[in-house]
Amino acid sequence: MNTKDMEPIVGRYIRVPVMGEDCRVYFEEAGQGIPLVCLHTAGADSRQFRHLMCDEAVTGNFRVIAFDLPWHGKSYPPAGWEKREYRLTTELYVATIRAFCSALGLKRPVAMGCSIGGRIILQLAHAHGPEFRALIGIESADFQQPWYDTNWLHRSDVHGGEVCAALVSGLIAPQSPEEHRQETLWQYMQGGPGVFKGDLYFYRVDADLRGRLKGINTAVCPLYLLTGEYDFSCQPEDTRRTASAIPGVKVTIMKEVGHFPMSENPAQFRKYLMPVLEEIRQLKS
Amino acid sequence: MPGDSKVSPEALEQELCDRFERVVPKVVNSDSHLVWRGRNLTADCVVQIGTVPFLLRIEEGSIRECRKGLPLLRSWVFAVRGSAQGWAALWQNPPPPGWHDIFALTKRGEMVLEGNLHPLMANLQYFKDLVTLPRKGGSR
Repeated sequence: MNTKDMEPIVGRYIRVPVMGEDCRVYFEEAGQGIPLVCLHTAGADSRQFRHLMCDEAVTGNFRVIAFDLPWHGKSYPPAGWEKREYRLTTELYVATIRAFCSALGLKRPVAMGCSIGGRIILQLAHAHGPEFRALIGIESADFQQPWYDTNWLHRSDVHGGEVCAALVSGLIAPQSPEEHRQETLWQYMQGGPGVFKGDLYFYRVDADLRGRLKGINTAVCPLYLLTGEYDFSCQPEDTRRTASAIPGVKVTIMKEVGHFPMSENPAQFRKYLMPVLEEIRQLKS
Repeated sequence: MPGDSKVSPEALEQELCDRFERVVPKVVNSDSHLVWRGRNLTADCVVQIGTVPFLLRIEEGSIRECRKGLPLLRSWVFAVRGSAQGWAALWQNPPPPGWHDIFALTKRGEMVLEGNLHPLMANLQYFKDLVTLPRKGGSR
């Protein structure tokens, strides 16, 4: 066996009960130390964090864990999925994250999420902050203006994968390496029918968090928000507006990245993430 | 908005139109893979730069005609109309944040999509790549 070319990422399945349903959840992990649970964007999967899981400067101190939400990647939908339309809600999303962390026995992990993952990070900070050592929202805001009709994402006469990828392609910064840009789009091309649209139900309809984030205590659970300057979905001003109502939150606007920093330009992203992780590492647990 | 403030609006529009006419049909039709990617699109569409409309006749991914100005009573399937400053920013290399994609421009009100959008959405990446070609093929 040629171990020289083998990556440190290991993938497994775990059964997680979520709101009365039995979910078989796929996750990948690498590293040792402080648990760092990573939440992928809408309509994508945990592969977005593959670069982070191969970064020894991260995995030397953190146990990086990324899971596919049910319906995404290698996590099947719950049994009976064919009889309903998929819709992610705030309640279901929070329950899934907490159930996953509980199933793995994680003690006060750090959670980091991007896009819809960034939105739910705010809800976690609001309602469950003490359960986490720190929270990191990537492309995170309490609300952002919609920029297209999500009905285009799930039709019989438009290829779902291709239209999903083509829509989000503009959210990638023009400076991002072509290989990583295309890999990021491939994730969108592989999503199940209606799954991206179902995730955006959470984003657009169910989780308008404006005015609903009072009481976040960053002294108990530090909160970091990092947003790419080329993200016109969650714009830097959306993140700044959100942060203005949260005492103690730390905001970073990242140059030359868009909506998928960890996937579209991992080298650029780590310049901004590493100082945050170092600060978290030095926190007293 | 980023842009060359020394150029008059009329001169900017003229320069953008020249770039579009010079670059898009030639580059599309000489790129067999791009034509293949657009193989399912046959439509007459309008691309408007500032005040100047272009009629693009696309046939199975190839551009059969790129005509400046619309003939009277001419029908078209869909239209992409952008301000001159919107196109100028989109075609900068690199484009400035928030001006770098047709949907970034529609969100900020610098571009509109009209007509029957189904053929556009069903061939979206092909069409986005087509209208972005002047970014790397122009004189700037």
